[in-house]
Amino acid sequence: MREQLLLLPGYLTAHLQLSLAALCASALLAIPLGITVHRRPALEPALLGAASAIQTIPGLALLAVMVPLFAGVGALLAGGGISVRGIGAWPALVALTLYGLLPIVRNTVTGLAGVDPAVREAARGVGMTPTEELWRVELPLALPVIIAGVRTAAVWIVGTATLATPIGATSLGNYIFSGLATRNNAAVLVGCLAAAALALGLDQLIRMLEAGIRARRRAWWGAAVALLGALALYAGATAAIRAGRTAPAIAIGAKPFTEQYVLAEILRQQIEARTGIATRGVPSLGSTVAFDALSAGDLDAYVDYSGTIWATIMHRGDPGERRGALLAEVEQFLAREHGIAVAGALGFENSYALAMRADRARELGLSRISDLARRAPELEIGGDYEFFARAEWRALVAAYGLAFRAQRAMDPSLLYTAVRERQVDAISAYSTDGRIAALGLTVLDDDRRVIPPYDAIVLASARLAHEHPEVIAALRELAGAIDAAAMRRMNAAVDADGRSPADVAREFLERK
Amino acid sequence: MIELRSLTRRYADRVAVDDLSLSVATGELLVLVGGSGSGKTTTLRLVNRLIEPTSGSVWIDGFDTHAEPAPMLRRRIGYCFQQVGLFPHLSVGQNVAITPTLLGWNAAEVAARVDELLARVALDPAAYRDRRPDALSGGEAQRVGLARALAARPRLMLLDEPFGALDPLTRENLQQAFTSIRRELNLTGIFVTHDMAEALLLGDRIAVLHAGRLVQVGTPSELLRAPADERVAELLRTPRRQAEALDALLGPSAQQ
Repeated sequence: MREQLLLLPGYLTAHLQLSLAALCASALLAIPLGITVHRRPALEPALLGAASAIQTIPGLALLAVMVPLFAGVGALLAGGGISVRGIGAWPALVALTLYGLLPIVRNTVTGLAGVDPAVREAARGVGMTPTEELWRVELPLALPVIIAGVRTAAVWIVGTATLATPIGATSLGNYIFSGLATRNNAAVLVGCLAAAALALGLDQLIRMLEAGIRARRRAWWGAAVALLGALALYAGATAAIRAGRTAPAIAIGAKPFTEQYVLAEILRQQIEARTGIATRGVPSLGSTVAFDALSAGDLDAYVDYSGTIWATIMHRGDPGERRGALLAEVEQFLAREHGIAVAGALGFENSYALAMRADRARELGLSRISDLARRAPELEIGGDYEFFARAEWRALVAAYGLAFRAQRAMDPSLLYTAVRERQVDAISAYSTDGRIAALGLTVLDDDRRVIPPYDAIVLASARLAHEHPEVIAALRELAGAIDAAAMRRMNAAVDADGRSPADVAREFLERK
Repeated sequence: MIELRSLTRRYADRVAVDDLSLSVATGELLVLVGGSGSGKTTTLRLVNRLIEPTSGSVWIDGFDTHAEPAPMLRRRIGYCFQQVGLFPHLSVGQNVAITPTLLGWNAAEVAARVDELLARVALDPAAYRDRRPDALSGGEAQRVGLARALAARPRLMLLDEPFGALDPLTRENLQQAFTSIRRELNLTGIFVTHDMAEALLLGDRIAVLHAGRLVQVGTPSELLRAPADERVAELLRTPRRQAEALDALLGPSAQQ
């Protein structure tokens, strides 16, 4: 817990910066939009419709689409010498700004429409121009309603900002994503409580501002403005300080599961120890986000799996060649199509596997996937979010004729609990997962060799390979250094023993 | 002096004001009367361009009202209407000060003018200046409305049933206050009402409208003496009938 709390100032500050920046941008966009809609009611269906449509997109999806969008814009602007990062705070800021528009636009329109027609008549009658009427009469009278909209947006933005972690923006979501993935409930709890406290705090401050304006109590709204101003000042100053001293550190990514956190730490510590170049971690990235960021040059290195590249990037459905040949083909493809270098295979495979409780498998008499296929219509299977959309699942279905009674997609961290609690009969497991042994699960044999090999490989961006060959050399030293048993032990050290990925990585490098 | 020249306002489905020509002499109060939909309020709002005419024009002291932007025109014309429309977020003093502020008067001048006007509409400046509109009675609110309309020293006043929503005692008070103010300042005015007694008591001349057209215009005594048609005659009979009914009721006791 102590270790988690040490991270709090950094995460909380980053979360505050992201949320306040998005809230300000939202308000600056939405209030003029609301005024425009009020003045030209013909625009209302189009503008409010667009803002509502954005709202219906799940927060995580809206954040995720920003990555290819920004990468595309970045590619367009690169010619002009402008660099736009596809992951990190900027795409998160844009997504959150869009997310906050609806409540503010809607309340601005409602607030302006609520001004008494007699007061409008008087404003025109005393000789106000439309602009004077807006500033002297309409906006002051609509202000409490507009601020109520800002308050709603603030709560939405602070909550949704926790989902900015998978696109590389630091937030309190870092606690939640890494905590869920490594079964660290303390981290999840700290992240959730801190995000809730921040949302409630902002909500109360803005409520005070609104109430002060409604009641025309200068002391109330003055205090609220002062406190909000102090928060904004703190967020702005810390952001400026950080921007001022940012050294070009090498960015190492990790997808949101334990093994990835451990491997990212191993990569970082190896690079820093061998080359002295600073690194920074970009944890909990979505699977394709990590690859897109690497090929766009926003990420310098991370560990991926040959089978993943084969299936999701190269879109190959066939199991293809055996291990070595597939690896060679993947390597060629990455170099040719994306300029990405493979700095060695770590020496173990983490393939998808189908696993069941040992007692359940015995009871049904199953040891191979062919056996499972016969009983599948009575059984339920659980898989991580990606699994059922992946080519190898389709290949499994096609090769074995798998048809389950039900299939459930869930967070990878919950899969093992689900199978242990008998909520599902089989799950998609990872072959290096420490919990396979810990929970006494049986891995079913892929007797028709459908699942492609999943060699863990270190991917490095073209920029890194070009500018820092010494880093590539340091990474190559890790080739073949980790076997499946070692990886399983390290995963279990985090998942079961509650040790930190950094600690486990340090121990591994010291022993090597 | 106000001149309405062939003023017409058409809407998709009806003609609200139909080829209306009228003139109001300087210092004169013209009262517009007529039933609902006769076009009296539309006519009034055409003068300060809260509504724009379909055709025809309004001239004030020899100038076409379309020669300047509508907001500038309105700052020179006092405007009072039944709902008053005080700005709820401003104090009484700030409400009265609004037109001088828009015109860019300096603060001391504005403050002095506010106190002068509050006193003129019989509200103690010290007691009322900083009050909020929601703390005023209906009569007080309309007094403030009157003060706001007079603030920038207009030569011209437009009043749309300003006393229509007040209780009889307050109404009579305000009618008298208004009459003395307009005489004192020699204001030219157009006053809309549907209350014939009010029209007869306040107006120098009365114009009777029906369906957007002028039926008759003249002094109260001219109208009473020679109503143009049965409709005008009927309108004029109403207050007299009421007065006779009251007389009959009060008669015996008055004779004692």
